[in-house]
Amino acid sequence: MTSTDLSAMALPARRFGWLTRLWKSRPSLLIGLSLAWLALVVAMALFAEFLAPYGYADQSLLKRLQPPAALGGLPEYLLGTDNLGRDVLSRVIYAMRTSILIALMGTLIGACVGTVLGIVAAHFRGWVDDFIMMLVDFQAAIPFLIVALAVLAFFGNNFVLLVVLIGLFGWDGYARIARGLVLSTNGQGYAFAIRTLGVHPAKVYIRHVLPNMMGVIMVQVTLNFPEIILLETSLSFLGLGVQPPGTSLGLLLGEGRNYLATAWWIGIPAGVVIFLTTLAISLVGDWLRDRLDPNLKGKPA
Amino acid sequence: MNPGFILSKLARGSLTLLLTVSFVFIVLRASGDPAQIMLSDEASPAAIATFRERWGLDRSYLEQYLTYLTAVLQGDFGTSFRDGRPALDVVMERVPVTLLLGFTALLITLVLGIPSGIIAALFRGSWVDRLTMSFTILGHSIPNFFLGIILILVFSMTLRWLPSSGTGSFWHLLMPALTLGTAAAATIARFTRSSMLDVLHQPFMRTAKAKGIAHDKRILRHALPNAAIPVVTVLGMRIGGLIGGAVTIETVFAWPGLGMLLVNSVNQRDLAVVQAVVLLIAFTMVVVNLMVDLAYGWLDPRIEVHNRRVAKA
Repeated sequence: MTSTDLSAMALPARRFGWLTRLWKSRPSLLIGLSLAWLALVVAMALFAEFLAPYGYADQSLLKRLQPPAALGGLPEYLLGTDNLGRDVLSRVIYAMRTSILIALMGTLIGACVGTVLGIVAAHFRGWVDDFIMMLVDFQAAIPFLIVALAVLAFFGNNFVLLVVLIGLFGWDGYARIARGLVLSTNGQGYAFAIRTLGVHPAKVYIRHVLPNMMGVIMVQVTLNFPEIILLETSLSFLGLGVQPPGTSLGLLLGEGRNYLATAWWIGIPAGVVIFLTTLAISLVGDWLRDRLDPNLKGKPA
Repeated sequence: MNPGFILSKLARGSLTLLLTVSFVFIVLRASGDPAQIMLSDEASPAAIATFRERWGLDRSYLEQYLTYLTAVLQGDFGTSFRDGRPALDVVMERVPVTLLLGFTALLITLVLGIPSGIIAALFRGSWVDRLTMSFTILGHSIPNFFLGIILILVFSMTLRWLPSSGTGSFWHLLMPALTLGTAAAATIARFTRSSMLDVLHQPFMRTAKAKGIAHDKRILRHALPNAAIPVVTVLGMRIGGLIGGAVTIETVFAWPGLGMLLVNSVNQRDLAVVQAVVLLIAFTMVVVNLMVDLAYGWLDPRIEVHNRRVAKA
């Protein structure tokens, strides 16, 4: 995206214009389904204690490796049980909580760090800008999964480090966008006018520039969020992310991998949940982009 | 191609490498005493003393950094504590296995992605287009390790057609390469389609039509070369994805390449091997990005001119 493309996004007139635009457009059935699925996932994550029929660590060793209820298993275990007699459905619900929570925190960290660094780069220009953009290029050049694995190897695994690491994934995208937007905004009359009035630069950014950016940042979130879920589930799947006795969707799939031949239902439901969630976010993201990005209007998709 | 363009790209690549080496050095030093970490717990005090001597751990950070940098430049990444061999040797013997998987996956990406993107663009709005686009969204959203597990479940466990893990024959290669290639193919198809659509609406395409150039020739000679540039960019970016994806896919299919070595080494904290793998991958990425940049200049001379102008301004 060039700076001229972006300047249209940064018009000062209506600060939350992107919200109005969003409100006025009606979603299709597919988008409706995606939104419904995402709402369900969030509900599961928030109210896991009330929705899960069992605790995620409750074992009943006499009822191990039961197939799902619909395939001749016990009716009280809807998706069957695993090798320790734990209810697969309950474990998936609790795993959603962990995975969604990590992804949300990661996205928040990435978006904040990236946006702030982007604004700082555009505000100071010069060597600060060069340095931050060098870091952006560096981040984009090396596959992040490799970096994450290396850091986990050196420091050992713990939850806080995992969240911080996942948060650092994708900050470069936000930084690039924020920098471009600030550069184009600073060239516009209204920013100059406010500054001439003696308003502190920080206030200009918080009160005037940031609200205008939110639409574009939201679109970036929808691109970043599925990738973050994939990063966490990949790490957990490899046994290097969330550690047992905790659960994560990736960890469940990793555990289920050893029972594919005999009890495929241990891992597959978690995989389906990851897939449907990333799919739903991608679809909603595409839809948001069409609605929020005025540059795309009237252009062939 | 002018040498200034190549030189500036080379400088940029070297800077990225230097940053990676520095990053590894900082992480190594920040995570504790390297002598304790790099050697196993059972290492004798004499071995630890030798190690400290060799890496100059009693000297200043700057000196340590320079020692480390020199060692890395000479291809000395320390020794793997699992079998006591140089880490570089342990890593290099896995490279051919990973390259085989990587290039097959890349081939699948190109063969699936580019033609389907072109066809979707040419028949925009038709069922072919809608079908291709649906597949790209699915291929983009499905986690590659999940796709791998589904393939194993269907083709190895249920149908018993293909081996689920290991290496040795073409049939062993098929599932991992397909899993790795399809996600990238989805991205490439998407970009090829949008890039083709952009080009097809350009005035020069109308001019070509007005001049009476045949349809096929217009597509092949006029549209494709112009649509290639964004596709090459994305392809360069996807190489990183392929390498990252190889880590999980190799583990799923027990493919004994670099990715599996990395995961095992991280699990066993064989840090000499971990840093060797990370630096090798960084080096590969820098070389790939350099090739992509040079390919631009070759595909579109305007980019080089533009770069030069920006450099002067």
